[in-house]
Amino acid sequence: MREYAYFPGCIGKNVYPGIEKATRLVFDTLDVGLRDYAYSCCPPPGVVACYDKESWYTIGARNLALSEQDGLDIMTICAGCYGTLHNVWHELNHNKELMDKVNENLDTIGMSYSGKSRPIHFVDILDSMRDKVKSSKEIDLGFKVAVHYGCHYLKPSDVTGESPEEPTLLDELVGLIGCESVPFKDRLTCCGAGGGVMSGEPDLSLKIIKTKLDNIRKKDVDAIVNICSFCHMQFDQSQKKLKTFDIPVLHLNQLLGLAFGHKQKHLGLHMNLVSNRDLVKKVKMARKVSA
Amino acid sequence: MSKTMKEITERGNAYNCIQCGRCTGSCPSGRECSIRTRKLIHLAKMGEEVFAVPELWECTTCFTCQERCPKDVKTTDMIIEIRNIAVSENYFPTMSEVPKIIIKSLYDTGSGQPLSPEVSKMRSIIGLAKEPFDVGKNEKDLKDFQKLLDILPLMKEVAK
Repeated sequence: MREYAYFPGCIGKNVYPGIEKATRLVFDTLDVGLRDYAYSCCPPPGVVACYDKESWYTIGARNLALSEQDGLDIMTICAGCYGTLHNVWHELNHNKELMDKVNENLDTIGMSYSGKSRPIHFVDILDSMRDKVKSSKEIDLGFKVAVHYGCHYLKPSDVTGESPEEPTLLDELVGLIGCESVPFKDRLTCCGAGGGVMSGEPDLSLKIIKTKLDNIRKKDVDAIVNICSFCHMQFDQSQKKLKTFDIPVLHLNQLLGLAFGHKQKHLGLHMNLVSNRDLVKKVKMARKVSA
Repeated sequence: MSKTMKEITERGNAYNCIQCGRCTGSCPSGRECSIRTRKLIHLAKMGEEVFAVPELWECTTCFTCQERCPKDVKTTDMIIEIRNIAVSENYFPTMSEVPKIIIKSLYDTGSGQPLSPEVSKMRSIIGLAKEPFDVGKNEKDLKDFQKLLDILPLMKEVAK
């Protein structure tokens, strides 16, 4: 059985725990083992990297070092956590002076990092087991969805190795479980939460997400599907603040959990601020049809 | 360890910049507010005190500008590093207290977004442990983590 160290991230465990749970259920269905470690916050590329990069590298490296002795790579479910851990991993492997400085810092608590344990975004794991994802489907949801990639999963591409202008992976993954990814204007633009803007410049953050939500609303989708707990929080909380939107927001693992037949209560669908009541009704209908 | 403005502009390839403006044209924040990435890079290149410009904090670090730059200028990397200088010179975003609260929570609990009693209850309803397994779970882990943070520049900046 494949196994990864599981990095749920602050938002996935402390704000929207349905995302942490859905991930556990989905990867259990896929026969992928997830192991827990005493992780801290990633820490955030916005607030912490922008305040002091050396601290960002050091705290990130402590997280990477935890699973290294077990030879496990680290699975993240948030583009923010992925952005941090993947950048830290990449930079430390290319900058010996920085690696030495970080290890000097880690040595104060008897830890070290060699650069081996590597972060991996969960969608890349799904990509490597498409047949299993497809065969695990129990319910044909048939949803029309607006997918959101999350900037730090795609960019910068010289670090991530992704195709940031024309990504297709997420569109294909929702297709594997019978959902349709609907194109919408400026679908790849930022959700407006990152870079410390959500916390430090909240009015601007709301303006950016409003433009995005306006574009999504025109397409009359069943849900917005994301692969980032931080974007998830921005999409859900902003709709409540803006008052004029009610588009359900699902993390991809919650959508997969529904398609794999897990109970919506266990996937934490009721924990969003935007009501998922209509969506749950559609799931019940789809469940009847598939039965 | 933090870089000087000269190091930031040199390593960020700022002198490659031909002021084409593709960065500004690609910016999702620039559509909604006054940040102009091209101008920030120009000010940095000219040795101006760009760290004091409030627009510096309007970048969401989405990396679209850096991705699209035809001259390989590391625009987003530079903005993040210039912010490090801004913080050391006491320039902060508009809601300067909020990032400090997040960093304080990181120190106190190990999480930038701490667990509330309400979410703890929700966790048990969906079959998760009331408290997640993380650095805050075990007292020794948290003490070690705080010992590490005590030697890092981050905490000194926040304590100011």
